[in-house]
Amino acid sequence: MRTFPLHALLSLGALLALGVYAFRLGFLPGAWVGVGLGLYALLVLWGLRFGWRHVLLGLGLFAYWLPPLAFLAPLLFALLFGRGLREKEQAALYGWALVWPALALLLVWHVFPTFYAFYLSLFERVNFLRPAAFSGLENYRILLQDPLFWKALGNTFWYVIFTVPVGLFLATGVAILLNAQVAFLGFYRTLYFLPYITALTAAAAVWRWIYHPEFGFLNWLLRTPGLDWLNTPKGVFALLLEPLGVQPQGFWAGPSLAFVAIMVMSVWHFLGYQVVILLAGLQAIPKEYYEAAELDGASFWQKHRLITWPLLSPTTFFLFTLGLIGAFQVFTQVYVLTPTGGVLQDTLTLAFYLYNKGFRDSDFSYASAIAMVTFFLILVLTLVQRRVLERRVNYEI
Amino acid sequence: MRFRPGVLFVHLFLFLGGLVMAFPFYWMLATSLKSPQEALQAKPIWVPERMKPANWLKAARLGDSPLWGGLAPGRSVELVFPGREGHPPRALVPRTPGAFFDPRADGTRVEVVYREGAWRVRLTNTTEEAFRFLPLVVLWPKEVPLEAPLPPDAIRSQGEYWRLEWVNAVPGALGYVFHNYLEAWHAAPWGRYFFNSFFTALTQVAVGLFLAALAAFALARIPFPGKEAVFVLILATMMVPGEVLLIPNYVLLARLGWLDTYYALIVPWLASVFGIFLLRQFYLSLPQDLFDAARIDGAGYLTQLFRIALPLSLPGLVSYGIFTFLGAYNALLWPLIVTQSPEMRTVQLGLQAFVSEAGSDYGALMAASTFVILPVILGYFFAQRQFIQGIARSGLK
Repeated sequence: MRTFPLHALLSLGALLALGVYAFRLGFLPGAWVGVGLGLYALLVLWGLRFGWRHVLLGLGLFAYWLPPLAFLAPLLFALLFGRGLREKEQAALYGWALVWPALALLLVWHVFPTFYAFYLSLFERVNFLRPAAFSGLENYRILLQDPLFWKALGNTFWYVIFTVPVGLFLATGVAILLNAQVAFLGFYRTLYFLPYITALTAAAAVWRWIYHPEFGFLNWLLRTPGLDWLNTPKGVFALLLEPLGVQPQGFWAGPSLAFVAIMVMSVWHFLGYQVVILLAGLQAIPKEYYEAAELDGASFWQKHRLITWPLLSPTTFFLFTLGLIGAFQVFTQVYVLTPTGGVLQDTLTLAFYLYNKGFRDSDFSYASAIAMVTFFLILVLTLVQRRVLERRVNYEI
Repeated sequence: MRFRPGVLFVHLFLFLGGLVMAFPFYWMLATSLKSPQEALQAKPIWVPERMKPANWLKAARLGDSPLWGGLAPGRSVELVFPGREGHPPRALVPRTPGAFFDPRADGTRVEVVYREGAWRVRLTNTTEEAFRFLPLVVLWPKEVPLEAPLPPDAIRSQGEYWRLEWVNAVPGALGYVFHNYLEAWHAAPWGRYFFNSFFTALTQVAVGLFLAALAAFALARIPFPGKEAVFVLILATMMVPGEVLLIPNYVLLARLGWLDTYYALIVPWLASVFGIFLLRQFYLSLPQDLFDAARIDGAGYLTQLFRIALPLSLPGLVSYGIFTFLGAYNALLWPLIVTQSPEMRTVQLGLQAFVSEAGSDYGALMAASTFVILPVILGYFFAQRQFIQGIARSGLK
């Protein structure tokens, strides 16, 4: 005998509740709410075939006035009469009932906004002052010709190129040393780990002080008095190649000295996280492999090239992906160290440009276009590196 | 175990690296204990005067209470400057620049007398209110060797005299050492900021944990129709970078009228894909027999979740809690966007505002940075293992 699909009603109710809220906020035409209520009513009517107590489910129809009722009514019904349900029905019901609270929040604050961002990017200068006109892909066309966007993209690109591999390299080195069973492991681990749990805002404030042109520690250490690290827009490649008489221009001049200063701070901050993850990965490698290699007379380098590197590759790969995604969203340290985006916008990153466009110029649609392009870039890069690198990743231990 | 010379190198590398990692922390602490004149030196001062225990003892003798100092109405304090009779020094309480009425400058009686081989500067509070601090300037003739009762915060040359300045002549030991901290703390409503940050972060952790545990349990242990679809949807949400959500979520909050409220700080981040994944992994690793046994004893899904799965997944919960707390406490971009009024600022936002307002008062700035990161650092030292394991666990595949 077929039974009443209570879990379907529950899910419909949850969607209906969200729909009513969306309608109230003006995101959804009223007709959709009508359709939802109709479907709900039909299901309840069908439920009457299984017993008059299903009338109770009709409470959910008041969702128009009190949206959560549509979800709570089936839940209440299940709590009252749930004992008589069969195993499979109970699983379906409880499964959906437990998933919906988190799922609803995800739908509202993650899934819907993703599409809404794209929708917003199709309008001409959305702000709250006046109705915006639809302009198709105009924002993207402007974006592709926007020198500042290319500047931000170039900067972000340099940031990824510099920080991700350097950070991983250093972290692997430290992790291997820490894994060598030295004394004071906890002490060293704390030393390397503390920067990571330090708030970026505070850390950046400290580094700003270290980089201070007149009284900064770094200038004293390097005997470069007066060098204004954070206000030097000159590219580092240009600076390095200057003595050789080569003058690379534009993008090829490399990231500005200011941006490199920010990168150094970022590597310092995230190193501890990578070390801890890599250390966990290293400790998962069976000791027997190294013992066998030692018996065969393998050297330090051979051991690490032939055992550590391949067996650690899943962890490295994970950190690489994470670093890539994080690097594309770098904002806080840049904002604290160079609040205006640097001299000549030399430290402008994609996230910073998005913030400027959206919340300083109140151009939400253009900012959304930047966000969508960033999303697309991250997606493509992750897929590419998955394709290229994952083949070399060794998941078996 | 035989001695390996390699170990020495390992320690050398680790220690040098650790030095670099820890230096910004030391520099922050040292600067936070410096007077402005000490901070603004071209040649860095490694150990500021306020760090020296001998000076703590000197400071403890000045002021009503040995710890916090201060000068109650009618009470006086005597500063002793050993020196020869002849040129008398001059002493005054400087006026606050631009102040219309300054009780400290107007209500303090300053007497300079010579007695028993020393000049004594006697400050008496003639007002009705107690002074928490009392600035003092002493003009000391250059030809007489100086031996101050407390190292002055600044020494300048003024004609025939050395102009010695103290920011507080009645500090007490703690008031002397932590002068910058007190100054920074009173410069902004930090209590409110800390409340906002803790309230936001702890609510996110508590509610987020609960929701994630429900959803993760359903996804791991309950066979319900549509489970695969839900899982794929949640997986897909993971691909969307947070940057994309900034603008649409801001618009959504604006429509809800939630901008500049706690809702804006908390609600969008309640459902966490990371948390669901982490806990699901945990539940999957528990043996199925456990749940079967409970089932046979008549336990429903909720009983299984709250009596078996939750207690056994405590490490996962702690791990998620630490991650969420760190993320919420250290966030800058999101609070920056969704709050406007100073009452809604979180500590990071308060610090960021302080960074741009404090100007060249680096002592106070570093003091503020120190107390902003202090709660997390303390938490780390109390629950070191949970922190490390919690972070390491996030990297497990």
